[in-house]
Amino acid sequence: MKLRLPRPTSVFTGIVMICLYLPIIAVVVYSLDKSADLIGWTGFTTHWYSVAFHDPEVRRDLLTSLEVASASTVISLTIAVCAGLWTRGASPRARRIFDGLTYSRIVLPEIVFALGLLILFSKLHIGYGVWAIVAGHVVFNSAYATIIIQARLASLSSTLEEAAADLGANRWRVFRRITFPLLVPAVLVAALLAISFSFDDVIVSQFLGGTSAEPISVLLLGMIRLHVTPEVNAIGTALMLITLVSFSTAGLITVLRPTGAGHLLALGRRAAE
Amino acid sequence: MAVQLTSEPNAPAPPPDPGRRRFAVRVAGRQLLALPGVGWTVLFFLAPMALLLVYSFGSVNLLTLHVEFGWTLSNYTQIGQALYLQPIVRSLALSAAATLACLLIGFPVAYTIARASGRRQALLLLGVMIPFWTSFVVRTYGIYDVIADNGPIYSILHSLGIVHGYIHVLFTQYGVGIGVVYTYLPLMILPLFVSLERIDPSLLEAAGDLGATSARTLRRVILPLAVPGIIAGTILVAIPATGEYVIPQILGGDTTLLFGNVVSDQFEDIGNYPAGAAMAIALTAVLLIVLMFLRSRSYKAEAAVA
Repeated sequence: MKLRLPRPTSVFTGIVMICLYLPIIAVVVYSLDKSADLIGWTGFTTHWYSVAFHDPEVRRDLLTSLEVASASTVISLTIAVCAGLWTRGASPRARRIFDGLTYSRIVLPEIVFALGLLILFSKLHIGYGVWAIVAGHVVFNSAYATIIIQARLASLSSTLEEAAADLGANRWRVFRRITFPLLVPAVLVAALLAISFSFDDVIVSQFLGGTSAEPISVLLLGMIRLHVTPEVNAIGTALMLITLVSFSTAGLITVLRPTGAGHLLALGRRAAE
Repeated sequence: MAVQLTSEPNAPAPPPDPGRRRFAVRVAGRQLLALPGVGWTVLFFLAPMALLLVYSFGSVNLLTLHVEFGWTLSNYTQIGQALYLQPIVRSLALSAAATLACLLIGFPVAYTIARASGRRQALLLLGVMIPFWTSFVVRTYGIYDVIADNGPIYSILHSLGIVHGYIHVLFTQYGVGIGVVYTYLPLMILPLFVSLERIDPSLLEAAGDLGATSARTLRRVILPLAVPGIIAGTILVAIPATGEYVIPQILGGDTTLLFGNVVSDQFEDIGNYPAGAAMAIALTAVLLIVLMFLRSRSYKAEAAVA
């Protein structure tokens, strides 16, 4: 097993790891720094957190983000579970078309379909706001969720469901008592990912929010572009915690229970965006 | 779409008469499960794309902002002008450079992780993924903190006497480049790791026993087997990097604009929807061509590895 492992690569890996964490550490450190300018450590304070917490704009936008995230997560999961169940009985050709639609929602740049949605909503006179953002977030969130649920269902054998059907359970009962409980870990992981992506999204949120809805990520971007204050670092640290906690929980569930997330990990993301 | 999906060529033969109708209803019911996903995609993904396509052939009265539809190609020929061509070329160049940088930085890291044993490997993978899981805007802002003119990197370099005077990285294309590489590096490392981990260590031992130097083993054994991972990583980095919109806004100031920013300016500031639509369609077309090229290479590479 042990090869002539060229030591320099290990050293290099260490340096890269440090660089990966440097910006994150910087945000956390500056959020706890007394001085308002980013000139170095001048003393510990939680002042900027209380500034951020008492900022009415921050509170309002945090609520908007919560609304958007929960609505888009519920819709995305409904779509994904239906899609997953459909996939099991689909013909290979129909499946190929369906998967093509799923993957293209992830791969194509968000900016393109966000602008398309901008035109669509103005044409239909629906207007912008929370629901316009939700419509956009579901486009990519449902794609990630569908991949996770499909992968989980593919790894399930149908013996339990067949047994239940043989014992006289109707299709709805089979789903409710057998299939869905087996899907729960995958559904949880998909939900946590969707919440994170929703909170993190800027492009759709910025273009489709109009004047009535501004999620926290858009507020943060505006603050960064206009005036840099340590308050930004405090909000940023809080936002990182939200995404980090939900992603780690998703990771933990994946380790403890089989879900389709490993498949998604191999696929990667932009995601992020 | 739903109609097409119902006509399953591989559907099992229908059972005899009494059950027949019930079966048909059941099959149709099954197909309904595809409806939410397909419906949402058609309404909020395909329809907007189609609208963009229609708009891209139209023209706009820049005083009244009234859009007239037609079949003009002027929005596309206009892209050739230097004003628009420059951000396009800049985006493609930046994306290519960032992808190459991710590959050069990511390969040794992925190799180290692939050769590490059990627990260490899991920890290293987690270490790569955690930054990727934290908020994207905040991470990019963190780079802003780090590379600012009087930020920590500068202080260290300055106190070591390596740098005299000021260096500007923030608000230049190097700043944007650093941001793109930092953001997408994990997406290069993961697929590289997957393909490198699959390499049987006995192959490397055999190469060594037969007298190959490490460099030769790398070039003749490891690299060819890593090609699928390299292509997958390139897709995951190059495609989103070309359409990148947020990183230049934070790290590029107003000087280093990329394609995505110019497209959105057409919508937000200038109000020329047809021109913006043509650019968005052109961007999509370029990315699709790159994607299809890489996909076909990846199939060939997979076949060669197998």
